Amino acid sequence: MYAFQYRKATSLKEAGELLAKDEEARPMSGGMTLIPTLKARLAQPTQLIDITGLAELFGIEVRDGQLFIGAATRHQQVADSKVVRDALPALADLANNIGDPQVRNRGTLGGSVANNDPAADYPAAVLGLDAKIITNKREIAATDFFQGMFATALEAGELIMRIAFPLPKKAAYAKFPHPASGYAMAGVFIAQTADGVRVAVTGAGEGVFRWTDAEAALGKQMDAAALENLTLSTDNLNEDIHGTREYRAQLVKVMAGRAAAAVAGK
Amino acid sequence: MDQHVHHHLFEVEGAHVSRLEDLRLIKGEGCYAADWNLPGQAHACFLRSDHAHAKIVSINIDAARKAKGVLGVYTGEDAIRAGQTKPLSMLTFAGKDGKKALIPERPTLAHGRVRFVGDTVALVVAETALQAQDAIELIEIEYEDLPVVVVAEAALAAGAPQLHDNIPGNLCFEQEAGDAAAVDAAFAKAAHVTKLKLDCTRVVPNPMEPRACLAAYDAKSESYTVHVPVQGINMMRMQMVAYTGVPEDKLNIVARDVGGGFGQRSIAYPEYCSVMMAAKALGRPVKWVSTRSEAFMADSHGRANYITAELALDKDGTFLAMRLDWIADLGAYLHPAGPVSPMRNPVVCLNGVYKTQALFGRWRVALTNTSPVSAYRGAARPEIAYTIERLVDESAAQMNIDPAELRRRNFIPPEAFPYKTPTGSVYDIADFPAVLDKALKLADVKGFAKRRAAAEKRGMLRGQGMATVIENSGAGMFPKDEILLEVAADGKLTAYSISHSQGQGHETTFAQIIGDALGIPAERITLRQGIGEKGLIGNHTGGSRTIVGAGTVCHIAAKKLIEHATPLAAEQLGVEPSQVAYAKGEFKSSESKKTITLGELAAKKPLSVTGEGKFGSTFPNGCHIAEVEIDPQTGVTQVVAYVTVDDCGTVINHTIVEGQMHGAVAQGWGQIFGENVVYDLETGQLLTGSFMDYAMPKAGWINDITIAEHTTFGTISPLGVKGMGESGCTASLGALTNAVMDALRPLGVPPLDMPLTAHKLWQAITAAKKGN
Amino acid sequence: MSKIKMTVNGKTCTGDVEDRVLLANFLRDELKLTGTHVGCDTSQCGACTVHVDGRAVKSCTMLAVQADGAQVTTIEGLAKNGKLHPAQQAFTECHALQCGFCTPGMIMTTAALIKDHPKPTDDEIVHGLEGNLCRCTGYLNIVKAVKRAAELQGK
Repeated sequence: MYAFQYRKATSLKEAGELLAKDEEARPMSGGMTLIPTLKARLAQPTQLIDITGLAELFGIEVRDGQLFIGAATRHQQVADSKVVRDALPALADLANNIGDPQVRNRGTLGGSVANNDPAADYPAAVLGLDAKIITNKREIAATDFFQGMFATALEAGELIMRIAFPLPKKAAYAKFPHPASGYAMAGVFIAQTADGVRVAVTGAGEGVFRWTDAEAALGKQMDAAALENLTLSTDNLNEDIHGTREYRAQLVKVMAGRAAAAVAGK
Repeated sequence: MDQHVHHHLFEVEGAHVSRLEDLRLIKGEGCYAADWNLPGQAHACFLRSDHAHAKIVSINIDAARKAKGVLGVYTGEDAIRAGQTKPLSMLTFAGKDGKKALIPERPTLAHGRVRFVGDTVALVVAETALQAQDAIELIEIEYEDLPVVVVAEAALAAGAPQLHDNIPGNLCFEQEAGDAAAVDAAFAKAAHVTKLKLDCTRVVPNPMEPRACLAAYDAKSESYTVHVPVQGINMMRMQMVAYTGVPEDKLNIVARDVGGGFGQRSIAYPEYCSVMMAAKALGRPVKWVSTRSEAFMADSHGRANYITAELALDKDGTFLAMRLDWIADLGAYLHPAGPVSPMRNPVVCLNGVYKTQALFGRWRVALTNTSPVSAYRGAARPEIAYTIERLVDESAAQMNIDPAELRRRNFIPPEAFPYKTPTGSVYDIADFPAVLDKALKLADVKGFAKRRAAAEKRGMLRGQGMATVIENSGAGMFPKDEILLEVAADGKLTAYSISHSQGQGHETTFAQIIGDALGIPAERITLRQGIGEKGLIGNHTGGSRTIVGAGTVCHIAAKKLIEHATPLAAEQLGVEPSQVAYAKGEFKSSESKKTITLGELAAKKPLSVTGEGKFGSTFPNGCHIAEVEIDPQTGVTQVVAYVTVDDCGTVINHTIVEGQMHGAVAQGWGQIFGENVVYDLETGQLLTGSFMDYAMPKAGWINDITIAEHTTFGTISPLGVKGMGESGCTASLGALTNAVMDALRPLGVPPLDMPLTAHKLWQAITAAKKGN
Repeated sequence: MSKIKMTVNGKTCTGDVEDRVLLANFLRDELKLTGTHVGCDTSQCGACTVHVDGRAVKSCTMLAVQADGAQVTTIEGLAKNGKLHPAQQAFTECHALQCGFCTPGMIMTTAALIKDHPKPTDDEIVHGLEGNLCRCTGYLNIVKAVKRAAELQGK
C-alpha cells in the first residue's frame, strides 16, 4: 500500500466536501475490494474517507412497495434481516452468497454497487429489480447507473445513500461461482413483476446486463425449458483462462434455468 | 471405517488433545518463521522481474538508496561479489552416454539477465517493511526483452530461445532406463498397443505459511543464525553452505513450527542467501516475509512432467512392455533436488504393481522461462503411477476387459516377494490382490451399474475409476538417521530429531514409538526439532520416509537407552546387571525388589543416548477407487465416493494416517479438477498468480472418504512401517481421472488431460455430442 | 499517523500507527500477538481471521485505524480462564489441524459460525468455511470439528 490519510467522516456533508475537494480522495465503505486493490498497489489515493459511521447510510425498511436498504448495510445484515427475508428473500439469499462470511461481515451494499465489479452479485439484483440508487445528490435508475466494467453514473463526491428495490411478485438468483475467487462466472437474477419478467446477468460480460430474449421467453413460461431454444449472444461476453464466451453463455442459460425453477417454486 | 479409527486423546496440561503438538497450535502459540523477531532487525523486500526473459540493460538504485529508512540496496553485482552464484546440484549421476548434467548458474540476485517472472532482481533493506516496499518502486530497470519459451517440449525444439549459454537446446540432462531392444521386440508382437500423451500439469504446492527468513550475523564468531521454514535443518544447511560458501560450522539454522511443506520447504532459496548477505553487510538482523503473490511466482512449483506412454499387451491383456518418453520441465534454473525426483523415482517403480517384464524410458530435463520446479508431495511418484494407471484403464476400455480383472491378471503375485523389478528395485512385501479385493468391496463395485443408471435418469454422467499403485519410500541421502534421547530427573524425556514436521505430527508419533518401547506414557516425551547444536545427522522429512528412518530410530534409541541404563541401574541397586529387569520406566532388582526409575538415575548422572539407523527403500502401496458424477450442463464434477485401501505397513497412529490420506487425496483432487499454473505463451506472464485465479480445494470438495488398511508388515524397519505421507497423491491422480474418463467414454470423449475443469469437461461433452 | 485505541482480548491497547497499517500487522507487529497469521495478500485464505465487535473478519483486509474503538478478539484471547473454547477443543479432538498455520483463522471462523448456527448443517458448515483455506487436512476433519464444536458449545 502507498501511504494515504484515513478520515472517518462524521457527516454526509463532510464526506461529500472532502471528496469534492480532493480528486484523489476515495470514499471507503467495507473496503473489501478497495483494500486488496491498495495492497496490490493498484491505486494510490491521497485520502480514504470512511463513510461507515454515518447513521443516514443505515436502515432497512419496506415502504410503498419498495425495500429500502442503507448503503452501508453489511452483506450479512442484509442476509440476516427479517425485513429483507420477508419482503425479498431472493435478495437475502443473494447477499448470503456473496464472497465468504468474513467478507459479508464487512462488505456493504453501497460499496459493492458503487464499485460495479462485472462479477459482483448485487448489480444483478439492482438491475433485475429495476431498483433506484438514491445518492446524496439525486436518484438514479438502475438502467442508467451501470455503465460497464467498474463504471457507474456516480460523479465525484456523489455517494450512494440507499437503494430502493421495488418488490416483485417473485424473484430468484442463481450463480455459478468461479472455482477460485468465488465471484460469479455467471449470475442470473430473475424478477417476476406486475410489468413482466426481468432477467439480469452478472459475471459473464463486461458489466451487468439484461437478457431480453430470456425475459420474453420466461414471461410466457417460467422454467428452464422455455430457454432451451435461446442462445445468448457471445459478442459481449468475457473470455479468459477460466472459460470461453461459449461456456459463459452456457452457464448463463443454465443459471437462468435454475433461477426460473426457483421463481416457479420448482 | 470405524474399526480403523483408534482415536486416542493425550492429556497435556490438563487438556485432552489428539496430538501432543496441538495445544500450542490451537492457542495461537506456535512459532512459525515469520513469528521470529530479533532486536534491531531490519526488513527486506525483493524487486522481482516482471519480464519472463530479458537482458538487464541497466539498474539505477540511487533513488531507492536515498529513500526514507533505507539501509541497503543490493543487486546481482553484490550476489556475484559474494560468490552466491551456484546452488547445490544433487543431479550428480551420469545420464545417457555417461554424460553429466549441465547445471545453470543462478546468482541469488539476477545478474545481466532475468529468466522468469518473479526472478529476484534487487533487494532493499529498510528500517520497516513498508519503507522497503516503498523504496522498491524507486529502482529503475531497463530491460531488453528476449524471446520467451514456457513449454518444455517447445524449449527442446530446434530454434527455441536459449535460456543459458552453457546449456545448448535448454537440455540439462538426458537419461535412459530399461531395455530398449526387449521393449521393441515385445511391441512388435503385441496384440494391442495403447498410447497416451499425458500432461502432469504444473502446480503450486502452496503450504499455507508463506516463506520467511530472519538472518543474523555475528561478526565476532563470523557465524550466522538463520530462521527459515525447513523440512530438516541439515538439508537446508547443506544447500545454504553450497550456495553461500559459509562454512557449515558457521551456520546455525533454527526452526520451530513449519506451516506445511510438501517438498517446497526443503530448498535453500536464493532469497534466504540474499538476506544472509544483507545481514552481514549491515551488521543487523534482516527479516523477510514473502507475500502469497511472491509465493505463486517464485516458490518452487511442482509436477510439470509431460509423458508420452505406450503399453503393449497380448490378446489376453497380459502387459508385455511399456515405453515412455518423459520430458521434465524444471523451469528457468535447477533447484538442488528438482531434477532428481523425475529422474529417479519413476525408474524405481517403473513397472508399478505389475509384472511387466520389458520396460524402457527416455527422460529429458528441459529449462523454460518459468518458476523453477522441485519436489511436490510424491515427487514424480504420482506421475509414474498416474501414467501407468491411465494406460491400464485405457487398455481395459479398448480391449473390453474389466479394469479390475486386467489389473489382477498382471499383478505381481503375493508369493513372488521379495520381488526384483526389471529396473533393479526390490519390492520387499505386498499383497496387491487382497488390497484390490478390499477396495472393490468397500466401493461396492458390483452395485455401480445400478447407481450409474440412476444418475443417468437425473441427467448426470456417473463414472468409477481406480488406481492400484506402489511407490518408493524410506532410504534418504544422509548417511544415517539419529535420534538423541535425554532423560531428565523428573523422568521426562526429550528426543531430538533432524527430520522436521511440517504438519505430519512427529511430536506425537515419535513420542508414541519411544513411549511404547519404554513402557511409559507418550505424554512424558517431548520431541524437539530444528535444533542444530546437538550435531545430529539425519534426513529431512520428505518422500514419506520419516516413520521409516527417524521413526524407527526412535524405537532403536529407546531400546538402547534401556541397554545403556541397565548397568547404571544395577550399580545403583548394588546388584549385577543380569539381576535387573526394566519395565515401565523403572529398573527392578530381582533379588532385593529394590527399584530405581529412569528419572532417579538421571538425577545421579546425566543420562542420554543417541540411537541411529540406516534403511533402504520401502514400498507402500494401495488401491483407490473414485466415483464421480458430472453435470453435462456445466461440466462440474462431484466426487460422490472415494475409497482408499492402503498398505503402509504398521500404523503407529491411525488418526494421523487418516489425516495424511485426507490431505493428500485433496491435493490430488486439486490437481485433477482445478489447480494449474498457466503462463502466457507469448509473454511468459503468470496468469494464475493468486488464489483469485488458482483454484485450491475448499471445504465441501467431497463429503467423505472411506479409508481402510490392508497391512503387510514391511521388512526394512523392525517396526514394520513403510511410510505413507504421499500415497494419497500417488493414487488419487489416476483414480479420479479414470473415474471421469469412465463417465465420459460412453459419449465418445477421447482421453483428456488434467486439469479436468468444468469448462474443459463441458467442452469435451459438447464436442462429443456434436460428433455424434 | 493516527492514534488508535481498541480492546484486544479484553485489554485496552493503544498505538500510533501509519494509516496504511493493516489490523493484522498491528496485532502481530505492535501487540506481538503472532497467533494471527497472514497466509495471502488477496483476502482469500482467512488465516488472519479475528473477531471485531463479535464478527469474524479478515484482519488483513481491514486497516488498524478502522478498528479504532472496537472490541477485538484474537486466537490468543479465545480460551477463557485457562479453559479451551469449544472450537479449540473440537479442532484437536477431531484432528482438524496438521501444520496448524490456518488453524487460528479456522478456529476463529468456527467460533463465529457456531454462535450464528448453534446446530449447523453440513451445508452451513461448508458455506461458513468458504473464506478459509487449508492445505493439509482436506477439510474433512475440519467439518467434523465444526460439528463437534457446536456440540461442545451446547453442553
